Amino acid sequence: MTTNILIAGVGGQGLVLTTRIIGSVASRAGFDVKTSDVIGLAQRGGMVWGSVRFGEAVHSPLIPKGTGDFLLGLEELEGLRWAGLMKPASTVVMSRTIIFPNRVLIEKEEYPEDIPAALTSLGLRVACVDAGSVAEKLGNLRLANTVLLGALSVYLPFPEGLWLDVLRASVPAHTVELNQAAFREGTRSPLTFNL
Amino acid sequence: MSERVLLTGNQAIARGFWEAGGVVASSYPGSPTVEIMESLKDYADIHAHWAMNEKVALEIAIGGSFAGARSLVSMKHVGMNIAADPFMTFTQIRTHGGFVLVVGDDPGLSSSQNEQDSRYFAQFANCALLEPSNAQEAKDFVGIALGISEQYGMPVMLRLTSTLCHSRSTVALSERTEPAIAGFTPDQTRYCMLPPYANAQQYFMRERIAKLAAEAASLALDVYEDTGRRDVLFITSGLPYQCLRELDLGYSVYKLGLCYPLPISRLKEIAAAYAHVIVIEELMPFIETQLKAEGLAVQGKQYFPFTGELTTDRIREGLERAQILLASQLPVVVDPAVPKRTPMLCAGCPHRPVFHLLQKAKATVVGDIGCYSLGILEPFEVLKTNLSMGASLGIIQGMAMAQQTAHKAQPLVSVIGDGTFFHSGLSGFADIAKTKHNITVIVLDNRTTAMTGGQETPTTGDLGTATHTISIADVLGSLGIGDVTVADQFDYSSTKTVVLGAMKRDGLSVVIVTRPCALNFRIKEPHFYVDREICISCRACIGVNCPPISMKVYEGQSKKNSYIDPHMCVGCSVCSQVCPVKAIKRAEAREEEKA
Repeated sequence: MTTNILIAGVGGQGLVLTTRIIGSVASRAGFDVKTSDVIGLAQRGGMVWGSVRFGEAVHSPLIPKGTGDFLLGLEELEGLRWAGLMKPASTVVMSRTIIFPNRVLIEKEEYPEDIPAALTSLGLRVACVDAGSVAEKLGNLRLANTVLLGALSVYLPFPEGLWLDVLRASVPAHTVELNQAAFREGTRSPLTFNL
Repeated sequence: MSERVLLTGNQAIARGFWEAGGVVASSYPGSPTVEIMESLKDYADIHAHWAMNEKVALEIAIGGSFAGARSLVSMKHVGMNIAADPFMTFTQIRTHGGFVLVVGDDPGLSSSQNEQDSRYFAQFANCALLEPSNAQEAKDFVGIALGISEQYGMPVMLRLTSTLCHSRSTVALSERTEPAIAGFTPDQTRYCMLPPYANAQQYFMRERIAKLAAEAASLALDVYEDTGRRDVLFITSGLPYQCLRELDLGYSVYKLGLCYPLPISRLKEIAAAYAHVIVIEELMPFIETQLKAEGLAVQGKQYFPFTGELTTDRIREGLERAQILLASQLPVVVDPAVPKRTPMLCAGCPHRPVFHLLQKAKATVVGDIGCYSLGILEPFEVLKTNLSMGASLGIIQGMAMAQQTAHKAQPLVSVIGDGTFFHSGLSGFADIAKTKHNITVIVLDNRTTAMTGGQETPTTGDLGTATHTISIADVLGSLGIGDVTVADQFDYSSTKTVVLGAMKRDGLSVVIVTRPCALNFRIKEPHFYVDREICISCRACIGVNCPPISMKVYEGQSKKNSYIDPHMCVGCSVCSQVCPVKAIKRAEAREEEKA
């Protein structure tokens, strides 16, 4: 059995590091792992996505349509965008972060209303985390992704100690304790909208 | 047991070069292969060099190989076009130090201007072509390629694709094999490509390819998975092989590692046992066409797309078209319709005021390659052409000539960044220097190669680690270009005066705008905010199209006013300068510093 995690966000949100951390944790837990992420033009505020696939033997880094088990949304609209990749009744862990895309900024389109409800109506389980506020309380907005990782970790078969070890190895040395605190906050904060 | 780590395809290439005793490596940054050189820089034993363009990068690696050192050059697919001139002649030479050319194709054009299948260059240049399918193979194939290169006396091309470059998988590491570098031994018959020496090499190139094709099977680069079924054989290579494995179909698969020359006699022998042979490859029918030319009855591109990535889903759809698979009955989640999210200039990007004023001036602007290519998109839509690195300078001259003959002469403007200026703009400037047409070139000197992650350029200077700086104004002066003005584009009105003035003058005028890249140099000034009491909702600030600026209904209000997200704003001031009522004001300190 392969577990498929799709990570979706906006260029500049730190998606590559987030994907790498999940991949490292799965790898150190003894699974075969493949990850991918888009890099390039999209970094300039465009849509970005990554994948982590783990299991006994994983071949392709790409997640086939209809097989996503978890969707980690760093931003609401990007969380909604990938719903079609997911298995019915799979889980979306999503930050309550809203970043307007260009066409919304220039008032040519509207940002969708109530995205958690939209995801629920598509048959997905949604766990929303106000990652930005949690991060801000901890004193640094850049901790939001780590808060989200904490929330995601609740659903994954990896011990907390492994996450904390990988965080230590992945973030700047002077932010290790803050990141570990953010992760623990994340494990406590999911807000679930059930089916 | 050796250490096993997760590496991207790019990191694996770097590791493979180090393990194989690589010495000289060069590159020019371009997605998807940027990270190869960035990773190579972590190995102290390697000369890891960012060159001014792909041609120079290739030539540096050629020099390393001439002197007997194992050498590598990496580039994105379109870089291959820049490097093709030395490559097509270099390949005639019997290689000395092992030479590997790593090319990253971009199926689906995720960050490129075309989708060329670079594998044809290998056939064109009579050199071997390897295609890895994961990071482990990417690492291993570098060492194998260098070995082939030395054994057969030919450069070897290693072809990657975007997803393979950026995806991580487990790699078993080895130690470095210390290289023995023979040094350069002069031999004009070998290294001087002129007749009669070059004539003889035409035969040499044929012979070495034939020899490699005959011995290919012994290199054990291919994988033949014989499941015992004889109805269908798939022949595939690269990442599509891994996607095909995902489908777990139970048919036999022949996975090629060496894609040029093909091990034809072995393939003929194996294929003869199957009722149907289907080639699954990304982009062009490179393998399929070779097999058909050898008389094999294979199928392929009639089922699979010739453009875009060949994902697991697309392979499955192709196999459904081929009636090998029944249509998928998986339950699905309905794909919701959502607004697109196109890339846009960053908060505080110094290109923004330039595009804004060119848009207002209704200028006809010839574009070039860099972050500033985003000037093509909404809401600026100011760049009217976009082609290849440095092309703006030639294109604008040709357009001016044609427009003049058509009695439609008009002021023409082009934009070019500092990275592109040094990559391939220098000869264009030498050419355009004495034009009589009304041409204004704006040099967007943001002092970095921003789009690819902020590599240094010759103008980075004290903002980076460079030991010497080249002044673009001095270069232009030495080319005999007299009409050069330097402007600070964050002073909007004076830059506007300079540009509009330049557009009124015949001949070449150059405006160099000098604000550095806000993202790469992490420039953050106290942010701006909207004084709602003054704001008249005119949306002038929305027109500068900065990520922090949107329209919102403030609490207790009925109509929308503009709003600036204080965390995203980096304080460039451009929006405040275009506001007609001075409603946009600077805060005393950044939001995060207030606490």
